[in-house]
Order: sequence, then C-alpha cells, then structure tokens
Amino acid sequence: MNAKLKETILNPIFKGNPITVLVLGICSSLAVTVTLKGALVMALSVIVVCGISSLILSLLRNTIPGRVRIIVQLVVVAMMVILVDQVLKSFEATYAIDKQLSVYIGLIITNCIVMGRIEAFALGNKPWPSFLDGVANGAGYGMILFIVAFFRELLGSGTLFGIDILNRFGYVPNNLVILPPFALILLGCIVWVQRSIQKDLQEK
Amino acid sequence: MNTNNNVYTVIYTTLIVVVVAALLAFVSQSLKGKQEANEKADTISQMLTAAQFGTKAEFQKMGNAAVLAKYAEEIGQAFTINLDGQKVQDLDLEKVFSPKELKRQNYNIKGGANKTGEPEIPVFIFKDGKTVVPIYGAGLWGPVWGYIAFEKDLKTVAGAYFDHESETAGLGAKIKDDPSFQAEFVGETPDFTSANVFEIVKGGAPKDAEGKSLVDNKIDAITGATMTSGGLDAAIDTWLGAYAKYFQGAAPKQHCGNCKHEGEGHDACEGEECDHEHQAEEE
Repeated sequence: MNAKLKETILNPIFKGNPITVLVLGICSSLAVTVTLKGALVMALSVIVVCGISSLILSLLRNTIPGRVRIIVQLVVVAMMVILVDQVLKSFEATYAIDKQLSVYIGLIITNCIVMGRIEAFALGNKPWPSFLDGVANGAGYGMILFIVAFFRELLGSGTLFGIDILNRFGYVPNNLVILPPFALILLGCIVWVQRSIQKDLQEK
Repeated sequence: MNTNNNVYTVIYTTLIVVVVAALLAFVSQSLKGKQEANEKADTISQMLTAAQFGTKAEFQKMGNAAVLAKYAEEIGQAFTINLDGQKVQDLDLEKVFSPKELKRQNYNIKGGANKTGEPEIPVFIFKDGKTVVPIYGAGLWGPVWGYIAFEKDLKTVAGAYFDHESETAGLGAKIKDDPSFQAEFVGETPDFTSANVFEIVKGGAPKDAEGKSLVDNKIDAITGATMTSGGLDAAIDTWLGAYAKYFQGAAPKQHCGNCKHEGEGHDACEGEECDHEHQAEEE
C-alpha cells in the first residue's frame, strides 16, 4: 500500500476527523449516542453508506452531467440509506435497534459527511481510493460516536452494551447525561483534547 | 463527450432514477415478508408483556419463533367489537392488529375526515382470563400506542405496555423504557363512566398518610415529558372510552373452568360454582 492511500485511510480517523475537525455530522452524533449498541449500528450504517456511495459515484464520475451532479449524488446516497434501513428491519437481531434509531437511519442522507466526501473526494478520484476514503470517514465518525456513547451509557444508564456496570454499586443514573446537550459538552471536550495534542489546529 | 448537453442530462437522470427505483422496489418486495414477521412478533411481545407473561427484554431474547409459540399457547380468543361493546366478528388467532391498523381504527373512533368506516376494535382474551386491549394516539413527535391488560373481573388493570415511534430518548421515551411507569398502572381501576378513564397527571394520585393511593385511576406523569404524558393520557381516554360499554357489562361471560361445559361462557359461571348439572362428569 502506497503512502498516499495510507494517508487517505488514516487522515479521517484522527488528523482530519469528520466530527472533531471538519465538524460535520454533529446532529446525529448528539441523537444516537445514548447507548453503545445504537452508536455501533449507526456507525456501521454510515460506514456502509459512505463507502459504497463513494464507490458508485466515483465509478460514474466521468459520466455525471455537471449541472445535476448534486441530484445524482442524492439519488445514490438515498438509495443506499433506504437499502440499509430495509436490511436492518429484516433481521430479528437488528429490528429492535432499527426501531430505536427510527428516523436517524433515514437521516444519514442529511449527514454532511456522506455528501461532503463525495463532493470533495469521490468525484475527483479513482474508485478504490474513493471507497477507502468513504469507509475511513465513516470509521472516523463512528469512533467519535463510540467514545461519546461510552460515557453517556456508562454515566446515564450505568450500563455498557446493556450490561449493568455501575448500578450494582448503588450508582444513580444521571438524567442530564441522557439528554443531547451533554453529548455536545462531551464533543467539546474531545475537540479540546485533540487540539491540545494537534497544535497546528489551534488558531493564532 | 459533452455531459452538459440538455438531452444527455435528461436521459441520464431519467435512467438513473429508473434503475434506482427498480432496485429499491425489488429489495422492498423481497424483504417485506421478513419485516412483517418482525413487526408481528414485536406486536405480540408487547401484548404478552402487558399481560404479564414476561418482560419485553425477555421476549426480545427469545426470538420471533418462541414469541409466536408462547402466544399461540396462551391466547384463548380474539374478536372485534363495535362501540356498543357488541361482538362484530372473530379474529384469526394467528393475526394481530399492527400499529397501522390501530391508526385506522383510531380515525374511525374519533370520526372526522379520515374516517374509513365504523370502528371495529379488537379484544384479546388469554386463557388465564386476562383481557388485553390496545390504545393508540399522538405523542409529541409521532404516534404512541400500547396495550392494557385487565384481570378477569374486567375492572382491575393487570399490566400495561406502551410503545412510541419517535418520542425523546430519556424523556417521552420513558413510556416504553421505564418499567416503573408501566408498573404504576397495575392494580388501578379505571373509571369507565367518566371521560377521564385514566388521568396521567403530575404527582399521580393523592395519597393518605401511609402512602396508599386514595384515587385509583391517577398515574404520575413523566417529568420533562408533559406533551408525551398528555398525548398518552388522551390516547388511553379515547380508546378505553371506546371500550367502556364492553367493560361495563357487554362482555361475554368468561368460562369459569370449573365445569366441563364447552363454549365461550355461560350464565352458570357468574357465581362461584357452576349450578348446572355436571352431566359430562357423571356419565
């Protein structure tokens, strides 16, 4: 694997993370991070949608009429989102979690990461790097989701993946942690940590 | 190739939309059966939860097949009634009322422009004598629905389970997620004679010095979820109101199980013992 490809994969995970650096996909990261399970399914869905949409649009990139390219992107992304939703609804194991995430699966289409990466990367690059870029950005998004959900489920419900961790020690779940504002506070803390490690992100 | 040509643009977009639509239609058709099976098992597990056969989490772990088997084992009879409490028709025991059908009946109960026919609302009677009826209404962001189970006397609530489409997690979603909220309904006796069959209000029922409720149809609302609590209250009032005549006496007599008399029920079961001759046993 050459250095450029490696950069394509690693950059979105930390240095150019879509949530903490590009500040995209904030809305859903506040909404679906109440439980780890929800965050995990959401992250996997975004990885699939982002990766495959990037791949398809990169394959089509030379044929797409310039004036309607956003519409074409939307059609492809919407298709992927509906497919993911339909598949999640069809399996016994994921039906309940799909019901819990409800509208947020459908709202992946409005997740700026997907359209942003297609517009910025997939339309100008070959299919394979585009696919990797999509997957890596989905993973970068998923990683932040996972960190936020870890703290929110632990402190808000006293559990991890639904398994009791703190409640047995008499912990009283904190209702504030369950509410979206706390996710924003947590995200702020993550951005703070990242910026203190990565000095070049700091504004002079 | 000039991709900015008008004809090219129109043909290209038409083509891509047709291809995507065909693909989605195909996927939707081929997965429909599985999705409906999941929804059915979910609905059944809600009814079983309301009737206190287990918790929702337990049913989720059991898997669809086991939930259906449990239901087939426990369900005694199911039929629809009209607003006068009279039986309209028997329901296939394999079938359940999906939230979509509940929505349709909700319009029928309330009347207005969306009415599609006379209300035909379902009653599910389990073999242990519990009667389960659904409720449906509007929460804050989307529909809320649920099932309320009554004891054999048709007066006391045996259990309740509520579900919702998109209430706020941690607030309105507690109608589903908080077992202590649902547990509050157990043992209550709704007031079928009033328009407020149940009242979901701040503080719940007034209590006496020993912490015992003085009124039997008041439920403590959920903090921070006034709209959801209010919506659920209205849904319960509307639906239990529609069932009021059934519960106040139009219900067919339950079979007591003390005698071998076949059928849905008979007058003899009203008393504590059967007063007709037990011919089957004597012969």
